[in-house]
Amino acid sequence: MSVHRRSQGLFDPKLVSEAIGQSFIKLNPRILFRNPVMFTVEIGTVIMLIVSLWTLSGNAHQGSFAYNLSIFLILLFTVLFANFAEALAEARGKAQAATLRKTRKDTPAKKIVLMGEIFLNEVHIVPSSELKKGDVFVCEVDDIIPSDGEIIEGIATIDESAITGESAPVIREAGGDKSSVTGGTKVLSDKIKVKVTTDPGESFLDKMIALVEGASRQKTPNEIALTILLAAFTIVFIIVCITLKPFGDYANTPITIAAFISLFVCLIPTTIGGLLSAIGIAGMDRALRANVIAK
Amino acid sequence: MNAELLGVIVMFVATLLLSVPLGRYIAKVYAGDRIWTDVIFNPVEKLFFKLSRINPTKEMTWKQSLTAMLTINMIWLLWAMFCLTNQSWLPWNPDHNPSQTPDQAFNTAVSFVVNCNLQDYSGETGATYFSQVFALMFLQFASAGTGMAAAAAVFNGLKERTTDKLGNFYNYFIKSCIRILLPICILIATIHAFNGTPMTLKGMDTITTMQGDTVHVSTGPVAAFVAIKHLGTNGGGYYGANSAHPLENPNYFTNMVQMIAQILIPFAMVFAMGFYLRRKKLAWVIWTVMTIGFLLLVIPTVISEVNGNPQIAKMGVMQPNGNMEGKEVRFSSYATAFWSIATTVISTGSVNGMHDSFMPISGMNMLLGMMVNSFYGGVGVGFLNFFVYLIIAVFIGGLMVGRTPEFLGKKVEAKEMKIASIVALLHPFLILVFTALACYFASHNTNMGWWFTDASGKHGASGWLNNPSYHGFSEMLYQYTSCSANNGSGFEGLADNNPFWNITAAIVLLFSRFLPIIGPVAIAGILAQKKFIPESGGTLKTDTGTFGLLILAVKVIIAALAFFPALALGPLAEFFGMK
Repeated sequence: MSVHRRSQGLFDPKLVSEAIGQSFIKLNPRILFRNPVMFTVEIGTVIMLIVSLWTLSGNAHQGSFAYNLSIFLILLFTVLFANFAEALAEARGKAQAATLRKTRKDTPAKKIVLMGEIFLNEVHIVPSSELKKGDVFVCEVDDIIPSDGEIIEGIATIDESAITGESAPVIREAGGDKSSVTGGTKVLSDKIKVKVTTDPGESFLDKMIALVEGASRQKTPNEIALTILLAAFTIVFIIVCITLKPFGDYANTPITIAAFISLFVCLIPTTIGGLLSAIGIAGMDRALRANVIAK
Repeated sequence: MNAELLGVIVMFVATLLLSVPLGRYIAKVYAGDRIWTDVIFNPVEKLFFKLSRINPTKEMTWKQSLTAMLTINMIWLLWAMFCLTNQSWLPWNPDHNPSQTPDQAFNTAVSFVVNCNLQDYSGETGATYFSQVFALMFLQFASAGTGMAAAAAVFNGLKERTTDKLGNFYNYFIKSCIRILLPICILIATIHAFNGTPMTLKGMDTITTMQGDTVHVSTGPVAAFVAIKHLGTNGGGYYGANSAHPLENPNYFTNMVQMIAQILIPFAMVFAMGFYLRRKKLAWVIWTVMTIGFLLLVIPTVISEVNGNPQIAKMGVMQPNGNMEGKEVRFSSYATAFWSIATTVISTGSVNGMHDSFMPISGMNMLLGMMVNSFYGGVGVGFLNFFVYLIIAVFIGGLMVGRTPEFLGKKVEAKEMKIASIVALLHPFLILVFTALACYFASHNTNMGWWFTDASGKHGASGWLNNPSYHGFSEMLYQYTSCSANNGSGFEGLADNNPFWNITAAIVLLFSRFLPIIGPVAIAGILAQKKFIPESGGTLKTDTGTFGLLILAVKVIIAALAFFPALALGPLAEFFGMK
């Protein structure tokens, strides 16, 4: 695992260009709808585009064309930036997942075949992805454990820092409650026989890959509750801005559409709403970088 | 001047000193502990439960509690409607007052059921002794009892155990009325009767003035009415002038008693929570947050009232007593300013001066008090409103420190956040949307038809404003804010006794009363069902000053962001216009 040192910078040109493309694709209302805060900003952007065109065609009540256009551009940039942040985080996650996957495939496993070609209990070297639940493999000094499993024979010190971040080695032994080992960790001394406890594609490492890719990243309960709170705030500010129109009428103060939309976007929690999903993915990314890849 | 300031401070400190033991007593009442008052009240309660065939020991789920609450409120509403629309022929009408019109009766009945007491009528001519006693005064007890019973159900749900039962709602209700409200009311009413407040059924009195004119003076069962009006934070006056009327609030002493009476139970409920859940420190944190909010509003108000009106000062007139327009000389500008904020942060809404005549900053602070609606708040419901902000603050705080949000050992999750958000959303929604509606009609002078007719028979909507410009806007904003906060005080100056204002206000009242009760009770019910997690090093401490500050910040941010534009067009614009 230590050979796969990360070389990606934050703004790797390949990732950035992919993210830029994605940030435009994500403008599709059907995709953006899942993020209510940014979706309302997008609606505001569309309205500003219409207002800009309207002023261009001769309407004089909504301020100058340049004013409306600049607000339209600022809003567009806001939406694009939120999309870009999310897309960049996703792209980085994907790139990392690919590296991880490669790691997993490359790790050789010393599988014990009960009825071998020549001897009983013959050791075959197979790629770790071919290990099935119930298979038994053996690990010696300096081997990377290829899959999650339970020690059935022997005792070993294991470096689990790749998964837990704890740099002191731990002792694992057959029997008792300290018998399980995790794929991706490294044996530092002695020899153990391990029985595989997960099917391919379900191991701890696979779960991490899925998390980083964002494919199976379910929203956490807190994230759901936070979305509800943000939606509530957004609704309050919709009310505040809409009611300002009759208030303005009463005070004989006409307010331009551009001013309404600007006020609205300033009030709603755009920063957190726009970056929430990016934060989630980036968090996974960081966790992995700290514990797995950098080692 | 120092004596007047001292008077205000004495009022506040006296309330605090009385409310702590009262809180302990309330906690004991709700916990069902044995108290010395059992001897007197047990037989009375048994009689009630026997007559109504209610088993007070049978516990209810949160849904059953709410069904019970809504059902009895519905029946009270119909009863009050009946009394008010038929009062002309019902007994106890020595002054021959007419029955109320259906829209006015609807507004009045709703506003008394929901503990608001908006009063688009004047008590002297708009209601008979029968209505005052059996409809209005009865509802003042019942609505206060409802709020307290709902709070008791929430206390019960926050205990350290897992259950789906929140106690018996009827039991809490009866106990709140009989053991808490009634005895204190008898004391307050007696004090008032000895200070000259009438307590009679004889009808109008006639006096001959020094000039030889004959004047008819309305009397009635005023002393009893005044007591529950304040203790239950109802605020509906017996007379139209409310507590500014010399018979309803004869002197500085009764003014103090009324002041203490209205703050007493909102204070005591917070302490009761502390004693009931054995979390005294949390109770003190909550009380301190409320008090800071209260002081932030009351200090600028007192200062701006005592300093007087800059426009009058420009004319070279001395104002040694401060801004005395719309104030009673016997109460001074200190006590009146203090009262005006107390009555708005708490949902009393009784007045002892004319809020319309206060300085713009004072008007804004009154509005803010109602917009936040949980610096103390009404009996029971004040704590419930605070509870909603508490849940939001716990959630935000939990996320900020990276912990799963917990309150009193129960996890706060999406469902609770949904309910809390809806309740927090409701208040700005009702205030802003209805004010916007009224503004729209007024600015376009819409022909309102049946909905509105002004004194000269015109239907134009701008006719309901007696003051143009910013002040008129404040009046409309105040009316709906007062409704949505279930406060009931009026800025006045608005022609509000007509179908449009009566009916829209009643709609706002119904929503803003019952959803904020349903929400917290539901949250408490859901939290009660969850597993109790004992406090550990990782728990976000809710009984610290830091957390108190967070709650205050949440309230200020929600109120400031939602209401600032409206306030800027009303009182703030007026304030800068007066300079």
